[in-house]
Amino acid sequence: MQSLRVGLLLGLRQIQRANIWTTLLIIFVMMLTFLNLIAVSGILVGLIEGAERAVRAESIGDIIISARDDEDRILETPTFERQLQAFPEITAYSIRYEDGGIIEANYEERRDLSGERDIASVRVTGIDPVQEELMSNLSKSVVAGEYLDPDEEGFILLGALYTEEYAENFGDIFETVSGVEPGDKVRLTSGNISKEFTVKGIVQSKVDEVSLNSYIPEREFRRVFERFDRNADQIVIRVVEQGMEDGVKASLVSAGLDDFAKIQTYDEGKPKFITDIKNTFNILGTFIGSIGIVVASITIFIIIFINALSRRRQIGILKGIGIQRQAIEFAYVIQAAFYALFGSALGAFVTYVILIPYFDENPIKFPFSDGILVAEPEGTFYRFLVLFVITLLAGLLPAWLIAKQNTLNSILGRK
Amino acid sequence: MAIIEAKNIHRRFGEEPLVTHVLKGVDVSVEEGEFVAIMGKSGAGKSTLMYQLSVLDEPSEGSITINGVTVDTMSETERTEFRLNTLGYVFQDYALVPDLNAEENVLMPLLMSGVDWDESIRIAREAIDSVGLEGKYPNLPGMLSGGEQQRVAVARAIAGKPKILFADEPTANLDSVSGKQIIELITSLNRDYQQTVVMVTHEREYALGCDRIFHMEDGVIVDVEQLR
Repeated sequence: MQSLRVGLLLGLRQIQRANIWTTLLIIFVMMLTFLNLIAVSGILVGLIEGAERAVRAESIGDIIISARDDEDRILETPTFERQLQAFPEITAYSIRYEDGGIIEANYEERRDLSGERDIASVRVTGIDPVQEELMSNLSKSVVAGEYLDPDEEGFILLGALYTEEYAENFGDIFETVSGVEPGDKVRLTSGNISKEFTVKGIVQSKVDEVSLNSYIPEREFRRVFERFDRNADQIVIRVVEQGMEDGVKASLVSAGLDDFAKIQTYDEGKPKFITDIKNTFNILGTFIGSIGIVVASITIFIIIFINALSRRRQIGILKGIGIQRQAIEFAYVIQAAFYALFGSALGAFVTYVILIPYFDENPIKFPFSDGILVAEPEGTFYRFLVLFVITLLAGLLPAWLIAKQNTLNSILGRK
Repeated sequence: MAIIEAKNIHRRFGEEPLVTHVLKGVDVSVEEGEFVAIMGKSGAGKSTLMYQLSVLDEPSEGSITINGVTVDTMSETERTEFRLNTLGYVFQDYALVPDLNAEENVLMPLLMSGVDWDESIRIAREAIDSVGLEGKYPNLPGMLSGGEQQRVAVARAIAGKPKILFADEPTANLDSVSGKQIIELITSLNRDYQQTVVMVTHEREYALGCDRIFHMEDGVIVDVEQLR
């Protein structure tokens, strides 16, 4: 106890009377270490998190309803829809009908009937344009032309990756039609049924479910794909506030709707590989960040070592007048703790007050997502703990090395 | 009654064949309340002898009993604790902690002894007052003259009321006026409070207030001069 008191006094006074610029420099190094630890993994995880957020916002929403495993479609879809309308927690929903078709372009200009047709296999989604807009804000993804008008027929929104011009950056991995622009005619074929559509707009997003899709009004979808039973393939739901989805799902289940379809929250419905990638990136980020910890701990070690070495005689005298070694070591641990605490506090401030809001507003543009910075408080806290403990050890070790030396040798400066 | 009893003290440094034999069988006895000086030329072994007597070093051979306690077999922690509770030190170059002010320098050993904070401050101020530095409690060592720093060092040494005060050439880094003041201070501690003092000095003038002077030469005490 006495050692702690004396160590605290010595440590605090050494901090208080140290050169302010040196102290600031050390705190700055600790802050950078903290940021390295948090931000590197945060950006890596943020790449996936950004993609996930986009998928949630633009495609599958907070709750996703799909056909039961033993059925092809959602049963009693109209009944389902009426029930959904009764939930105040649900702000929007979209009923989607999905199928695959062949789209053909440039057929009017085709002169050589024996030549290759300009066709592509496409995914087609039948939507209520108003519902879909409320649910996923699809019009925001229209990069050329306009969004579907609910009162019109004969128009199609074509996913950008089905057009040669937009998909050329990806090589030949997608089937595309060439030279298609808003206003052009395309022919959609399913089985024996073909219908001509005018391209109303091109939709492009970092969410593949949008860019690799084509949208037509559900009335026309049912006609082209001969889907007259009104049973949909997917219903996606947006709730008032994220976090309410478990409660809404429970209500839907208790209303017996799980007899007609499979009801999943976003977290349940998202592909497992997303979680796996996030965890992998997290580990990778932690590994990279841990190199920062090693560098910081060596920095602290050197700083404390030089500090203690330059005070070796003073340490000897302190021991000479009866101050126990533990008190002297504790004084240096206090200094290391001070650097770690203030550096981390500054790092946390920069992370949560500056970087996260900044990246939320200005995401990093990656080809497959808009990357943000993710720093879960719990994970940050554990990383801080690791940094803190390692810094304490980096402070203790040099102090121990110097303080354990023979008292008289320290006083006289002998080796 | 002897408060320090050292018998056949040897101190060697280095390893065979390069051994330096600094103390060659020294016997010393100091009575409680006595003021003794150790004098000798440079290299005579006077400081080495003081380090043995003040439990800062361990003799290669021989036995030392201080205040009835045999210190030879103590562990490092026990020796540190013994120094804290029994001995006081004044070093050549003041040896104050530069980050602590005068008051904190003095109260640190008191805190280490388990005295509470308020009481430590009271005792520290009393000790600083007693060496003639009233009101200089918040001054950092850098704000004090050499003589004043040495006074703070004396205050630190006596604040815990040690059984024995060791002073290792306490005037070495002081001008003659400050040096005399420090010697007068140490002498008055012995005269007024019967403080046992062991002082190393190479200036006879400063040793004249002592009871006895041990004269050393080549690692042995060659003469004990009785002054009082």
